[in-house]
Amino acid sequence: MRRVSLYNLSWFLCFLCLLTAAACQKRPPPRAPSPSPSRSGDIARNDRRAGSLPTVTLTASPSSVERGEQTTLSWTTTDTMSLLIDSGIGNVADSGSLVISPRESTTYTATATGPGGQATATTRVTVVPRSARGIITSTDLDGLQQAIEEGKIQPLFFEYDQAGINAEGERVLKENARWFQQFPNATIVIEGHCDERGTEEYNLALGDRRAQAVKVHLVQLGIDPGRMETISFGEERPFAPGYDEAAYRLNRRAHFIVIR
Amino acid sequence: MRGENRGRVINEDKKKKDTCMTGKILILCFICLPSLLKAQTPDVVIYPRPREDTKLAVADFVARTSDTSEVQAALEIFDRVLWDDLEFSAFFEMPSKSFYPLKPLRSPTDVKFDNWQVPTLDVDFLIFGNLQVDSGLAVVEAYLYDVRTREQVLGKRYNISDKALIQRVAHEFADQVVFQLSAGTSRGVARAQIAYSSLKGQGKEIYVMDYDGANQRTITANGGLNKFPEWSSDNSKLAFITHLPRSSRWELWIQSLDGGRRVLPLPSSYVASPAFSPDGTQLAFSTREVNGTDAGIYISNLDGSRLKNLSNHSAIDSSPTWSPTGRQIGFISDRSGSPQLWLMDSDGSNVQRLVREGGHCDSPNWSPDGRFITYSWQPRGQWNHQIYVIEVATGRIFQLTSGRGSSENPHWSPDGRHIAFQSNRTGAKQIFVMNADGKNLRQITAYGSNESPAWAGYPVTETQE
Repeated sequence: MRRVSLYNLSWFLCFLCLLTAAACQKRPPPRAPSPSPSRSGDIARNDRRAGSLPTVTLTASPSSVERGEQTTLSWTTTDTMSLLIDSGIGNVADSGSLVISPRESTTYTATATGPGGQATATTRVTVVPRSARGIITSTDLDGLQQAIEEGKIQPLFFEYDQAGINAEGERVLKENARWFQQFPNATIVIEGHCDERGTEEYNLALGDRRAQAVKVHLVQLGIDPGRMETISFGEERPFAPGYDEAAYRLNRRAHFIVIR
Repeated sequence: MRGENRGRVINEDKKKKDTCMTGKILILCFICLPSLLKAQTPDVVIYPRPREDTKLAVADFVARTSDTSEVQAALEIFDRVLWDDLEFSAFFEMPSKSFYPLKPLRSPTDVKFDNWQVPTLDVDFLIFGNLQVDSGLAVVEAYLYDVRTREQVLGKRYNISDKALIQRVAHEFADQVVFQLSAGTSRGVARAQIAYSSLKGQGKEIYVMDYDGANQRTITANGGLNKFPEWSSDNSKLAFITHLPRSSRWELWIQSLDGGRRVLPLPSSYVASPAFSPDGTQLAFSTREVNGTDAGIYISNLDGSRLKNLSNHSAIDSSPTWSPTGRQIGFISDRSGSPQLWLMDSDGSNVQRLVREGGHCDSPNWSPDGRFITYSWQPRGQWNHQIYVIEVATGRIFQLTSGRGSSENPHWSPDGRHIAFQSNRTGAKQIFVMNADGKNLRQITAYGSNESPAWAGYPVTETQE
């Protein structure tokens, strides 16, 4: 919720800057044709014919996007004193456009209020999940999968009974984060593992603690927590089969798989 | 030694239990000064003592009418299972059969009591009987006689529709004998099932077996990892955790033995160690908030509603075990640095540390009479766990296993006289049972890899005489 309003606020601020810039110049003509074109701003208000109903148009282009893609919302009005667009956008100039990237399908309603009354216009932006089209997704999935297979994404290792990330671990995570950012649409699973010493119950909790520690660190490096899952396998899935420190060291690890 | 100077509040469970136990025979009495750091078998004494109180003879059962090979095979199974059950119960001294009179005992009229009171035998009680198999149907007649008074204590006739049920009849009669001759101290554990987790390919499935390792059968077959089974108090359900293939989360399952199952909603991908409350209305388990970093003890209703974090501490809190009254929960926490055994009231209050030995503790399990908690412990600097018992009221600690391998996941029998656990002392993890004093050790699984035994409570449908 907070993220959405901040997001919209920042757009709104950008828009204000644009508006300020626009005020110093000659405004371009409105984008969309309007039955009775009018100039924006105070002049337009001075020109208005008292008593006539406001008109408003609102379009989204394109009207269907994949999640994360952008669309442009454009509007024009006549006989309008104030214009409000809902769904978190707020008060806007009486004609203009805005680049948006809604997380889910959203219906936007512009309400124009003038001396003659109110008018509304509605448009809908349909947001398709990425996997539904699959082209971009599979590119990221494949890209990251390939990076894992080529050993570019490294596991990191822990001390006995510890979940702390050492200097080498930090270096590995920094490098891994670079790859994760390169393929921003892939979802990653962080697996936490333990060596076979200790008991199954405690090791399952310890592996979970390791995986969560890695996730927290990656969030700090700018990776979206929404694309990271964690799972502990405790001592169930050892890398190395031996019963000595050389094997145990390899088994106390967090490693990464990509699932979608 | 180390436990004795420790001041300790006697907990509510203990008080209540003592009241209940007044006038009854105490099952166990621990008298020793253990040394934890030396692998020394403690001097734990079980009452009534196996070698001094009751001498029992179990004569071979005989064919009632026709002595076919089918009858001989059934007799062999019946005699072996009955003997093993009674010997395992640890209530009796059982002289070798080589001292027995040679005359077969088919019915009470065959018994010459004087022959069972010669100095080499001198038994207090005598079991005998006969068996008959007719076209699959079997009839077993079993008797228990008091040799001193020459009176019948038990006389039972079992009709069974399938001779595969011979073992079950032997278990049932053994439990009846234990109940009679222990003055009600125990109802016998021979029919109480053991649930466990068994390695199958890449996965682990939940299995159930008889306490002697026979009659193994699967409860799950999902190809995933199924771990930490625990019985509901009415033995109708098992709770355990499941990781399905290709999933990225652990799930908490409650599966009825008749097949229905429920998956509880949980806040995160981690869950472990479910335990039913004694009244059967709640589960305690270990899970984590979605953005939390460490496991905590939670309770919820069986449908997952009213989820509540009991431990509320930024440390690993896991492996809950309910006291038999449901008023307290024992659990493992590493809030002091390493995983140790702690107690709290079942509303999360009154948290206190029970084990202070350092090293690693895990898998606590509260005894049915409330006096003891068994757990596994690994001393600092060593890599293997052994099985221990702590007396809750006094903090006295007793070591039950020693030697090779790591012994883990102990679980009490319903009569509190035995403990099942897993050990890799013979290679792969296998399940063992032993007396609560560490003696009479038996390995009950031999193939594959088997872990996390959970002994069911007494059968609820039984009728005692």
